[in-house]
Amino acid sequence: MKRKKVLAMGLTLAMAASVCGMSAYADEFNPDKDPNGIDWTQMREQFGAMPEVPDGLVVGGLVKQLQNEFWQSLKKGYEECGAYIAEQAGVELTVDVQAALDESDEEGQLTTMNNMINKGYNGILFSPISDSNLTAAVDTCNEGDATVAVNVNDGVAQNTNYFVGPNAYQNGVLAAEWISEKLGGEGQAAVVIGKVAAYAARERTDGFVETMAEIAPNIEIVAQQSADWDRQVSKELAETWLTQYPDLDAVFCNNDDMALGVVEAVRAYEEETGKHIYVVGVDGDSEAYESIRNGGQDATVDSFPYYVGMVSMEYMVRQLSGQEMPKVVWTPQALICSDNIDSDPAEVIGWSDAAFE
Amino acid sequence: MNKVQKTINNNKRELVTLLGIFLIYIFFTIMDSSYLSWANFLLILQQSTINGIIATGMTFAIMTGGIDLSVGAAYGIVIVAIAEMTVAGWNPVLSLIIGLLLGCGLGLINGLLVTKLKLQPFIATLGTLDVFRGIAYVVTGGVPVVGVPNSYRGIFNAKLPNGIYVYVFVFLGVAIIMGIVLSKTRLGNYLYAVGGNEEAARLSGVNIDWVKIRAYIICAFCASLAGAISLSNLGSGNPKAGEGYELEAIAACAIGGSRMAGGKGSVLGTVFGALLLAALKVGMIILNINTFYQYIVTGAIIVIAAFFEVIQNRLESRIKKRD
Repeated sequence: MKRKKVLAMGLTLAMAASVCGMSAYADEFNPDKDPNGIDWTQMREQFGAMPEVPDGLVVGGLVKQLQNEFWQSLKKGYEECGAYIAEQAGVELTVDVQAALDESDEEGQLTTMNNMINKGYNGILFSPISDSNLTAAVDTCNEGDATVAVNVNDGVAQNTNYFVGPNAYQNGVLAAEWISEKLGGEGQAAVVIGKVAAYAARERTDGFVETMAEIAPNIEIVAQQSADWDRQVSKELAETWLTQYPDLDAVFCNNDDMALGVVEAVRAYEEETGKHIYVVGVDGDSEAYESIRNGGQDATVDSFPYYVGMVSMEYMVRQLSGQEMPKVVWTPQALICSDNIDSDPAEVIGWSDAAFE
Repeated sequence: MNKVQKTINNNKRELVTLLGIFLIYIFFTIMDSSYLSWANFLLILQQSTINGIIATGMTFAIMTGGIDLSVGAAYGIVIVAIAEMTVAGWNPVLSLIIGLLLGCGLGLINGLLVTKLKLQPFIATLGTLDVFRGIAYVVTGGVPVVGVPNSYRGIFNAKLPNGIYVYVFVFLGVAIIMGIVLSKTRLGNYLYAVGGNEEAARLSGVNIDWVKIRAYIICAFCASLAGAISLSNLGSGNPKAGEGYELEAIAACAIGGSRMAGGKGSVLGTVFGALLLAALKVGMIILNINTFYQYIVTGAIIVIAAFFEVIQNRLESRIKKRD
């Protein structure tokens, strides 16, 4: 009787929470589901070759931090695309990439963005640490017409006019398609979520779960839990699952770091039982690549931060050169497994540099 | 009979925590009978290892009336250091020893800041938290150190014939040794004295500074050992490893009966606190409880534990009055 009461209370709470959740998300700007969003190839088709680029543009890049590979690659993409455009168009184009101290330095990031605005940068490609820490600076850009602010990648400032980045929902879709194919549409899967309130974590999980329900109704998602983007925590989580769900066939993780933790748990289990469990991550970290090559992790959904940087810079320059860009453009991504891991990423995504007339 | 009664009397707080673990066991077993299994018990032991070892060290810092917020960063720095050394081909055992000594050095820095510069422990270790983390980033350029050889990983990550990992025994060993240090040695007595009443301890001739410095060294040593174990589990040295671990360690101490003002607590209580948190976490994962609620439950348990502390103190003083 008591147990029922507890259950009933829990259910009520859960329902109340989901209702609150729904209303909070109802009119949220969600770039993954923007009805007018296009991907980078469509952008090239619709807008054609690069327009005439004004001389002396200054574009700032503001990333979350530079202690990690992802943001370092993104920075490289900004700089190389900037150099390429400057060379092709025969103009001067300055690219200045800066970062917050670390991913908790929300105030510092805002100060840096305000500095860029005050210095009169023509455009700022910003990647906010949280959904709200840069909104004040974005407002400043929106109100004046001196600086164009483009939101790049996973944090989403709700008041932004422009967004360029990978479609996080699509990350989950690609993983679900691959896993359902490998399992022949039948079996059990689980999801390791990043920080539960993080945008990328929510979208990747939704993309996976909803796609699975649609294309492979016989694959049951037996568990979804958060591991806080922490490898040690995800390893422990997977160990618990393996005792609880001996028939588990696949684990989708919201990033590669957590996937590599699951790989450690699964390795010991596989040695004992001889059963293979598919582990798929997101991000395309070099460590994940190495693990795929060595037969550890099975796949990663790579959103190629270098190309995110390239496409964002191209988008910014097009905008600053007078083209009216759509609000949302999605950057290239692909699922990398042992079949295509040694191919050139440019080939995998079908990359070509922006054309000039 | 008398002896048993005495043991119970001396370890009342620990028994309350143990009772908490039993209640958690009963609850989750009712909800899902698979919770009550040997495999699951091993899992709880395994998953309390990292936090349990860090918290054991934390008990020493808290005992002096201080705190060490830098444990997660010390953990990260040692992970990175050992990873760099082993990847460079150094002898794994030597790398481990150097890593642990490095950890002790970090503890020495904390201890000196707290005693010689008379900084408040909260502020001093909040500062070193950032400094240590920053050094880990600088050394690695922010990129994880990969390719830690199996010769190192095998030190802790090996499975014994009975199916238990070596690192679980390391945890038990650390708990026993540190428990003895705190309860049976002169240093332990001094720690209780310093935490209970620093002035009185000083007047009776205890070298307060040296006692505190050793407490911070032990604390950082434990964090380093936990880092060394995690590195052997995961095989990759991530400079951001251990972020936020200090809070979970403090939670284990609090649940186990450590008083934040110092002078009260025990290693046994802390170990029970870490086991309780792990038992709770595993249970919630098994029931597949939405992560949002897991935060609420964990937080509530900490508050309840604190409340227990108050009730127990009140009861005890009432009983004393009656006597």
